[in-house]
Amino acid sequence: MIKEMSKIQLVGSKTQLDECIRLLHAMAVVHLETVPMDLVEERGILRRLPLEKDKLIEKESLEKAHERVKNLVFLLKSRPALTVPRYRIRGLLEEMGPVEERIKRLHAQKETLTEEVSSIDKYEKILRGFAPLISSLGGLNNFDIVGLTIERRRHDIIGLLEEEIKRITGGTYELYARAIDETTSGVILTFPRKYSGQIRYLILGEGISEIRLPDEYEVMSLASAITTMARRKSELPGLLRGLEDKLESVSDEWYPVLAGLLTAIEDELDEIGVLTYCAQTRYCFVMEGWAPRDMTGTIKREFSRLFGEKVVVRELEVKKEEEDIVPVYIKNPGWLRPFEVFLKALPAPRYRSVDPTPYIALFFPVFFGLIVGDVGYGAMLFSLGLFLGWQFRKKQKTETLIDIATILTVCGVSSIIFGLIYGELFGDLGERAGILHPILFDRVRALKTFLILTLGIGVGHVVLGLIIAAVNYIHRGKPREAVGKLSHLLLIVSFLTILGIMFKYVPEGLLTPGLAALVLSFVLLTTIEGIIGPLEIIRTLGNILSYMRIMAVGTASVVMALVANKMGGLEGSLIVGIIAAVLIHTLNIFLSILSPTIQSMRLQYVEFLSKFYEGGGRRYEPFKKR
Amino acid sequence: MEQALIALGAAIAVGVPALATGWAQSKIGSAGAGALVEKPELSGVMIILVAIPETMVLLGFVVAYLIIG
Repeated sequence: MIKEMSKIQLVGSKTQLDECIRLLHAMAVVHLETVPMDLVEERGILRRLPLEKDKLIEKESLEKAHERVKNLVFLLKSRPALTVPRYRIRGLLEEMGPVEERIKRLHAQKETLTEEVSSIDKYEKILRGFAPLISSLGGLNNFDIVGLTIERRRHDIIGLLEEEIKRITGGTYELYARAIDETTSGVILTFPRKYSGQIRYLILGEGISEIRLPDEYEVMSLASAITTMARRKSELPGLLRGLEDKLESVSDEWYPVLAGLLTAIEDELDEIGVLTYCAQTRYCFVMEGWAPRDMTGTIKREFSRLFGEKVVVRELEVKKEEEDIVPVYIKNPGWLRPFEVFLKALPAPRYRSVDPTPYIALFFPVFFGLIVGDVGYGAMLFSLGLFLGWQFRKKQKTETLIDIATILTVCGVSSIIFGLIYGELFGDLGERAGILHPILFDRVRALKTFLILTLGIGVGHVVLGLIIAAVNYIHRGKPREAVGKLSHLLLIVSFLTILGIMFKYVPEGLLTPGLAALVLSFVLLTTIEGIIGPLEIIRTLGNILSYMRIMAVGTASVVMALVANKMGGLEGSLIVGIIAAVLIHTLNIFLSILSPTIQSMRLQYVEFLSKFYEGGGRRYEPFKKR
Repeated sequence: MEQALIALGAAIAVGVPALATGWAQSKIGSAGAGALVEKPELSGVMIILVAIPETMVLLGFVVAYLIIG
C-alpha cells in the first residue's frame, strides 16, 4: 500500500547542523527536499546555505580519496565488505599507501604478462609456418629478413612486389609466400642488407603491413625471437597464476576494508551534499523533507532527546497542489513484497492512488497457473524457483533476482493446483496411469468451456479494475471522476447483459433494465468525458476478449505435452521415444516459464492496470547510509 | 470439399492476423529496443506496446473458432 506522508520542517541553531544531518542520515526516514525558493524569497532573512571554505576543502579531499579508493577496489577481487566507522577514514587513507603501491604494481605486472601472452598468440601463428625457413636463413650475415602480411584477396600484389625487388636487388633475393589463415598470406623476404632502405620504402609505399614484433623482441633476429616466444609461452601461465594468487591474498586482506572505506567516504560526501538542500538565517538553519506519517512522532522524539529545544521539528500542512510532488512510499507485508518487482517496469504511482501489488500478487500466479495447469510442470517450476532463490541468497544476488525466484515458486504452486483441476501431469500421463482425472473439465476436449471461463475471468478482472478506480476517486474526494468510472462500469455490464440476452445466456426479462442502464450510462459518460467517453467501451471489450489468450496459450502448452507423450509412445525404439519425449517436455517447461509470464504480465499491465493505475509519482528515497 | 474450405477459411482467419501481428511486433520491437538503450525505465511501456498487436491474432483465433464450430 501507499503510505501516508507528512511534510516536515527542521529549524535549529546552525551550530547543531552537522549533528542534525548525522541523525537524519542514521534514522534513514526523511526524503529531503531543497527549501523552496518562494519560502526563501518570501522571508527576506532566509537565504541559501553556501558551502563554507573548510567544508569545500573537506569535500574536495574526500572526492579525491573516493576516486583513489574506488580505483583500488576495482583492481581487487570482490569480497564481502566491512563496516568502516567515520573516524577510521583518515587513518585508513594513510595506512593504505603501501598497499596501494603493491596492488598497482601487481596489476601492472599482470597486465604486461597478459599483453605478452596475447602478442605471442598473435605472432606465433604467423611465424610458426616460417620457423624452419627462418632458422636456416638466420645464419646469413649481411642479409635482412623481413616478414610481411598481405590480405589474401590482394594476393596478386606478391607478384608485382617480387618484380620490383628483383629490379632493386638485381636478382639477389629470396621470397617465400604461404597462407597463414583464411584471410591472410605471409611473405618472408631476404635480401642484401644494403638494399634495406629502398625495399622498406617500397613496402611502405604499397601499404603492405610488415610483421612488427613486440618491443622486447625487436632487437632479436626472427629466429631467436621464435625460440624466445616458445619459451615464454610455457613460462607465462605459471607467472600469471603466481600473480593471481598474490592478488587473491591481497584481496582477502584488503577488499573488505577498502570497500567499507569507500562506502564510508560516500556517506560523508552525501552528508556534505545535503547542505545544499538547506536554507539559513544568521544563526539558524532550515531543512524540509517528507517522512511517513507514522514515523513523524519518532523523529520528533529523537530530535528532542538529542537536541532539546535547539532544534525544532514540525509538521507542515500539505497543500492540495503539493500532492503531485509528495514522494510515494510503497510498503507491503513481507509475503507481498516480491510482487512489487512488477512496479519497477512502470513509472511510480501517484500519491494517494492505488498500489496494485496485492492484486498482482493474486492474479499473476492465478493466470500463470491457468495457462500452465500441469502438476508435473508446476512441480518442476516450484523446485526451480526454490533452487534459484537458495542460490541467489547464497551468492548475495540482488533483491530483484530473489523476488523473481519467489514469484516463480508461487507460480509453480498455482500451476500444480490448476494441474489437479485439469487432471494433467506431464500432459495426459497422469490420466493414462490412472492417477489423475480432470476435476472441472478437460482442457483439450472442452475448448468452449475453457473459452467461456477465460472470458468470464476477463469480465471480472476488468470490472474489478473499474471498481478499484471508482473507490479510489471517492476516497480522494473526486466525485466526478468516480461517477465517470462507475458509468463506464454500468455501460459495460449493461452492454454485456444485452449481448447475453441476444445469445440466450441471460433471461429476457432483464432486457428493459439492461437497455435503461445502457442509455443512462451513455448519457452520464458523454456528459462527464465528452463523446469520446462511450467509445472507451470498444477498448474495454477488446480488453475482455484479450483474456482468451489464457485459453489459447494454455491449450498450445497442453497440446505440446500431448505430442511429447505421443512421441514417447510411438512404435520402434523405446529409448529413442523416451529421449524425444523428455526433450519436448523440457522445451515445453522452458516455454512454460516464458510465455505464461509474458501473457500474464500483459493482462496485468494492459487490461487491468490501465483501468486504475496512475503513474507519474516520485519514488520515496530517504536520506540514508549506503 | 466443403470441410476443406471451412478448414482453409479458419486457417486464413488465424494465419493472416498472425502474420500481421508478427510484422507489427517486429516494427515495435526494434524501435523499442532502440528506445530502451536510451531510457531503460521505459521497459514496462515497451512490454505494453509490443503486446498490443497480439489482439489481432486473438480476434483471428476467435473467428477461426467460430468458423470451425
